[in-house]
Amino acid sequence: MTTEGGGTAVPAIDARALTRQYGGVTVVRGIDLTLPAGSKTALLGSNGAGKTTLLKMLSTLLTPTSGTFWIQGHKVPSPRVARSIGVLGHSPMLYEDFTPLENLRFFARIYEVPDAEARIEELLRRVGLWLRRHEQTAILSRGYHQRLALARALIHSPAVLIADEPETGLDPEGVALLDEMALAAPGLTVLAATHRIDHIDAWATGVVRLERGRVVEDTSSVAPLTEGATA
Amino acid sequence: MSVLMAVVGKDLQLAWRNREGWLSAMAFATIAVLTYSFAFDLATGDVRPLLPGVLWTTFLFAGVFAAGQSFQDEVDDGTFDALLLSPVDPTVIFIGKLVANLIALLIIEFAQLILATILFDVGLLTPQLLGIVLIGTIGYVSLTTLLATMGGHVRGRSVLMPVLALPLLIPLLIGAVRATGASLGLEAGTGPWMLLLMVFAAWSTLAAVLLFPTAVEQ
Repeated sequence: MTTEGGGTAVPAIDARALTRQYGGVTVVRGIDLTLPAGSKTALLGSNGAGKTTLLKMLSTLLTPTSGTFWIQGHKVPSPRVARSIGVLGHSPMLYEDFTPLENLRFFARIYEVPDAEARIEELLRRVGLWLRRHEQTAILSRGYHQRLALARALIHSPAVLIADEPETGLDPEGVALLDEMALAAPGLTVLAATHRIDHIDAWATGVVRLERGRVVEDTSSVAPLTEGATA
Repeated sequence: MSVLMAVVGKDLQLAWRNREGWLSAMAFATIAVLTYSFAFDLATGDVRPLLPGVLWTTFLFAGVFAAGQSFQDEVDDGTFDALLLSPVDPTVIFIGKLVANLIALLIIEFAQLILATILFDVGLLTPQLLGIVLIGTIGYVSLTTLLATMGGHVRGRSVLMPVLALPLLIPLLIGAVRATGASLGLEAGTGPWMLLLMVFAAWSTLAAVLLFPTAVEQ
């Protein structure tokens, strides 16, 4: 793949023959996947197709049974990969006994975010939680949990966002915010599993469809490069 | 160092805010020491030979009550996955849990030593005995924190914890009970038992630090 400048672009995600078994049952079977930097890919498939397992492997949470993959050109496992990935999963991954402010402060510290207080304020204002920043996270609604999870996933300005049904619990305003901040954000590479087929036109530039752990449709690598692509 | 402080601070803050488990352990330990004090005839007999067993049985079960709780809360809320996804070294995650569990259990143990000193009329707050309790607790908490991690995704983990932990803790219990007895003047010299206790504490801490990254890999 070449950029407009003629250089070779490093794919944001490049997977080769990824396979994962659970107790002898193969859930993901030899998946090859190349996502250009800045592309937005919707991961489709029915329940049990292997979407969540594939996303967990690509986010480095699950070790593949076999196969190799690279994130931003770094072969996984690599200590440099964690700072490149933001993950928005089924669970909001938030400390319920902390306030939204404390949650983001903690994640900003472990990701060593520069100028953290300004970044936290910016994100809390954007997701509509600035005025509720001192309330306990446990009392927030499901939708606000997901908004705060979005802020957590983006706190370190990742280059790649891996999301599993990110619209869960969000109202139309929240979905619009998700599009604006993440799914359709310029430069950010997105791979998101979704069942909202009606919504993917709003953000996706390509589609990967899984069936029984195999890729049966892949238009992700033909996605146009955006300004986030690197030469 | 800043990341280590952030993780340890987070674990201490969460242990304080979500302290039901530790309060239950404190209540259990207090009831156990009180019950023992009613059972022993303080007027006619010397209770000192019984105290090492009383104290370490109480400490052991109080720890089993609560040691895995903080880890389990993180697994249930998905925040443990968030930590594994972050650039934080798994060893730092382990140290955070270890320090929080250690401080909480030491507070419970110190409170029980004060209570036992009053109820049994035996001086238990000596530097030597406090040292034995500290070293024994480090070994104990290292091992139980690792086991809580290994059992975190397993069904029936509440049963698994004591079943796995108790046999592995036998050398520590022997060393702790005998060293405590020696510090109370029941036998000559704490040296050999202290050595056993220190070797066990060092071994279990080192093993836990080395095994933790493997234990959390999915």
